[in-house]
Amino acid sequence: MTQNELEKIEISTQPKRTNPLANVFDDLVRFCRSRSMFMLHYCTGCGAIELPPAMTSRFDMERLGIQPMVTPRQADILLITGYVSIKTLKRVILTYEQMGSPKYVIGICSCTVNGGMYWQSYATAKKLDEYLPVDLYIAGCMPRPEAVMEGMQQLMQKIKTGEADSWKKYYSHYDYYLGNQQQLFGNNWQTPTDIIGEAESYQLMGPQTLGEHTKILQQVQKPLEPLEMKL
Amino acid sequence: MSEADSQKLNVLLQGIEGLQLTQFNQRRLRADISPEALPALLALLRGRAGYVHLSAISCVDWIAEDEFELVYHLYSYETKILISAHIRIARDPGVYLSVFDIFTPAAFFERDIHEMYGVYFEGSPDMSKFILTEWQGPPPMRKDFDSEQWVMDTFNWQDYHPDWLQDIEQKGGGIVRTPESRRGEE
Repeated sequence: MTQNELEKIEISTQPKRTNPLANVFDDLVRFCRSRSMFMLHYCTGCGAIELPPAMTSRFDMERLGIQPMVTPRQADILLITGYVSIKTLKRVILTYEQMGSPKYVIGICSCTVNGGMYWQSYATAKKLDEYLPVDLYIAGCMPRPEAVMEGMQQLMQKIKTGEADSWKKYYSHYDYYLGNQQQLFGNNWQTPTDIIGEAESYQLMGPQTLGEHTKILQQVQKPLEPLEMKL
Repeated sequence: MSEADSQKLNVLLQGIEGLQLTQFNQRRLRADISPEALPALLALLRGRAGYVHLSAISCVDWIAEDEFELVYHLYSYETKILISAHIRIARDPGVYLSVFDIFTPAAFFERDIHEMYGVYFEGSPDMSKFILTEWQGPPPMRKDFDSEQWVMDTFNWQDYHPDWLQDIEQKGGGIVRTPESRRGEE
């Protein structure tokens, strides 16, 4: 499946509930969600240098309700700030899968769009949205804090209207993302998170959740073992 | 380099065959030497002349001459002189001796060169993957590895002017001046 075909597929958004009071409640939940975002900035490249001014007193992201967060399990936004080397991409995917839903991915800088100035390099991944569903790109090399804030506000708007649900895409098109990951990391690639199981439990199984690539995964998948503790 | 330092070094190194010393300035010396004599030179410089710091080993791929050049950079904290010892080895099979027994940090440099150029160092403690743990292809710093071609074969690219960009352009954003319209201005 090509990227263009993937973009055409609309994720069925939650239908409006019949109870008007429930609708008010849903709106309220979305509003609150958009005003209290915790951001895990995975500082992969040079774009991270624009975040300290955006977060501190000069531009003050906190007035929009955005705060940095230290662990992926407590964060809502995964901010990828710059080039993603193939080695880093593995860690990014592990981090993304640990985050609790709903989760949003923002790709900052040209490198996440198309490889940027490292397009010739054998070591960097080019299109981030082949491996993870990206909600929003903030292009630029690097984008200024104003652009970052503008992007954040757009994301807030998307959350408020209920459009920002690309995290569902990861479950409903897991086969596509897994296939691209396997192409880079080899067929033995597996993560500790059971995405197919999560998709079942969230009731987000789609026709493309399972496919040839998940078949390979299920063949090579080894059960997780507790880490060996050594002094 | 003072006269006395230079004389000491000359006396010390006179036993080594085929050594060519070139002085660039007060603190830089270049030594061209045969691969067989290099361990002896390093041992002498470390043991008798105070060149205790192997600051790097670098590698150059001379593909037209079918050779690898290995450069050992040695520094002395006493005389504050950097000596670069250059050797040439055959590109095929690309095997050389490890100097791990003379300078322990050489293990890291040799492992790195093995990964990037495919040069094998006999006697080095660990020749396994170092930085490129996800890499399956040929050693990427070799001149015969075409990085651009590999990238073109492996990755897909974002469209230059995709459909969703047109929506953004209608709102006043997007690519304001295309490369075509800017051509000829400069």
